[in-house]
Amino acid sequence: MSATKASRIGEEIWKTRIDKVNAELVTLTYGTIVAQLCQDYDSNYQDVNKQLDKMGYNIGMRLIEDFLAKSGVGRCANFRETADMIAKVGFKIFLNVAPTVTNWSSDNNQFSLIFDENPLADFVELPDDGRAQDELWFSNILCGVLRGSLEMVQMQIEAHFVSDVLRGDDTTEMRVSLVRYIEDEMPPEEE
Amino acid sequence: MAAPRHSAMLSISNAATPQSTSSDRTQAPQQPQSPAPTQGLRVPSNRKTIYDRHLNRSRNAESSRASFAYLFAEMVTYAQRRVTGIQDLEKRLNEQGYPLGLRLLDLLFYRATSTSSSALSSSSTSSSPPNRPLRILTLLHLIHGPLWRLLFQRSADALEHSVSPDTPNEYMITDNDPLVNTYISVPREMSMLNCAAFVAGIIEGVCDGCGFEAKVSTHNQPTEMWPSRTVFLVKFGDSVMEREKVLERAGIK
Amino acid sequence: MSYYFTILSPTDTPIFNIAFGTSKSGGDGIARFRFPDTAQYMNQFIIHSSLDIVEETQWTNGGMYLKHIDTYPPAAAYISAFLTPSGARFLLLHQPPQLPASNSSSLGASSLLGASGSTTRASSSSIAANPTSPQTEEAVRQFMNEIYESYVKTAMSPFYKQGMEIRSPVFRTKVTAAGKKWL
Repeated sequence: MSATKASRIGEEIWKTRIDKVNAELVTLTYGTIVAQLCQDYDSNYQDVNKQLDKMGYNIGMRLIEDFLAKSGVGRCANFRETADMIAKVGFKIFLNVAPTVTNWSSDNNQFSLIFDENPLADFVELPDDGRAQDELWFSNILCGVLRGSLEMVQMQIEAHFVSDVLRGDDTTEMRVSLVRYIEDEMPPEEE
Repeated sequence: MAAPRHSAMLSISNAATPQSTSSDRTQAPQQPQSPAPTQGLRVPSNRKTIYDRHLNRSRNAESSRASFAYLFAEMVTYAQRRVTGIQDLEKRLNEQGYPLGLRLLDLLFYRATSTSSSALSSSSTSSSPPNRPLRILTLLHLIHGPLWRLLFQRSADALEHSVSPDTPNEYMITDNDPLVNTYISVPREMSMLNCAAFVAGIIEGVCDGCGFEAKVSTHNQPTEMWPSRTVFLVKFGDSVMEREKVLERAGIK
Repeated sequence: MSYYFTILSPTDTPIFNIAFGTSKSGGDGIARFRFPDTAQYMNQFIIHSSLDIVEETQWTNGGMYLKHIDTYPPAAAYISAFLTPSGARFLLLHQPPQLPASNSSSLGASSLLGASGSTTRASSSSIAANPTSPQTEEAVRQFMNEIYESYVKTAMSPFYKQGMEIRSPVFRTKVTAAGKKWL
């Protein structure tokens, strides 16, 4: 499936099958979560990143079902197709944005998502404590979401942000790497 | 000229550190005592900072209800692990909503002043800047209408005043189907939890911000038609009620 | 005209201060207060002294911009106020320039009288000279509105808590620019 086709599908589902809310409600709720974590973890940003990733992972595991039900798409033929599906359908129908897929590695196992728009980070200015801009990945929950949801469809991936405009970078970029396809392992026998 | 305020004078002598005062809720936590001599935050080379982004840019932007539900559920689950019991949990949700109330208040008024069709006035022809609410009813209408519309894209369902002569300071705002309850599955041991405590916190922030000290609580009042119907009980403090009488006599609306 | 602008939290904590001079009528934007040595202290003193009036006016006038609300004649200082709905107070102190004629080293009562006399004579409607003219009120209103926009942007960040000092250099730049533009 081509990227353009994926975009069309994403647009179509967004228009017809998605219950909407004010985007600012999502933005403000997420901001509240991150600020709370920073407070609870005493501005230990590494721990905050981890916790955000964990939350995302939980969300991802539940979200994938919703995604498959709404999109009706089947198995992707390869990782490149998966990337387009994530960017143009997944992000579109959940956050109403469509990041750019780019910077493929030669083995086609790694790519970047570039976010021109990141609704999670609207209104946000990181704490001016000399550390947050070096240590906190504000939108880290998204990495967890990808990891959790792809694991449910037999893909073990690794995802992390490599830049963020909130840190003063020119772009917001997430690097996604395929670790392996999880074999159809037999579920452990229930007793 | 009025007498100088000595308490205020004390705080300005070291203006660099925010002082902790009586109401710690509205105060920033004490800053770390090493105010790093920062050059400020780094900004992207295109110099796009929050100050360059128009405040109305996301005004009509939409997101998915699912994303809100996922995030909100994570917020509740996370909070649940750090509290003991439902009351604690509701208190925490309330506290998380409170600062949002303050922010939304400023955002609402900014938008009302910056656009010709004011979000705060019922008539779209009025172009004068909106007034800060001075009276309880004006404040409650602001919450019931513009605030609810900003958050949930519709007004709240009812606004009532307590009929009991013992509680003239109590008002009720009803939402038949609160978004925060609809999509959130509460664990069974938490079945009494009302996630709308978060919204109660937002309301409290709006009231306090406007100078109407209030406590807001949530009450499940299901009907056959509206199983998650929630009443937000707004209790204003004595000082607010006193002032209300004075303003009433002075004919201030 | 010299200006001292401050933002106070709802509990009277100063969260932002800046002094600047007019950029109108060839002004260079540098503040020249009448008591340079004690200006910082005096300005804050005068501003805080006006708070009782602000709080009174606050409940009779529902506007955000309350215009000129107080005058402190000993320093020929005029205070204008703007209230955000969430309880922050923007206060602007303006002090017209001192008469060149009273340019003596002593700052006695006579020179102050001379100064206040000069303001009425000084260049007519110029906002740089007349703190209570309608033109000035309008210019201050525009200035305040512009600051309000930046303030809301600051306050919207999830990491900003009410009452926290505003340290962003970008915010300061915006205030300076608004001062240059309107005052």
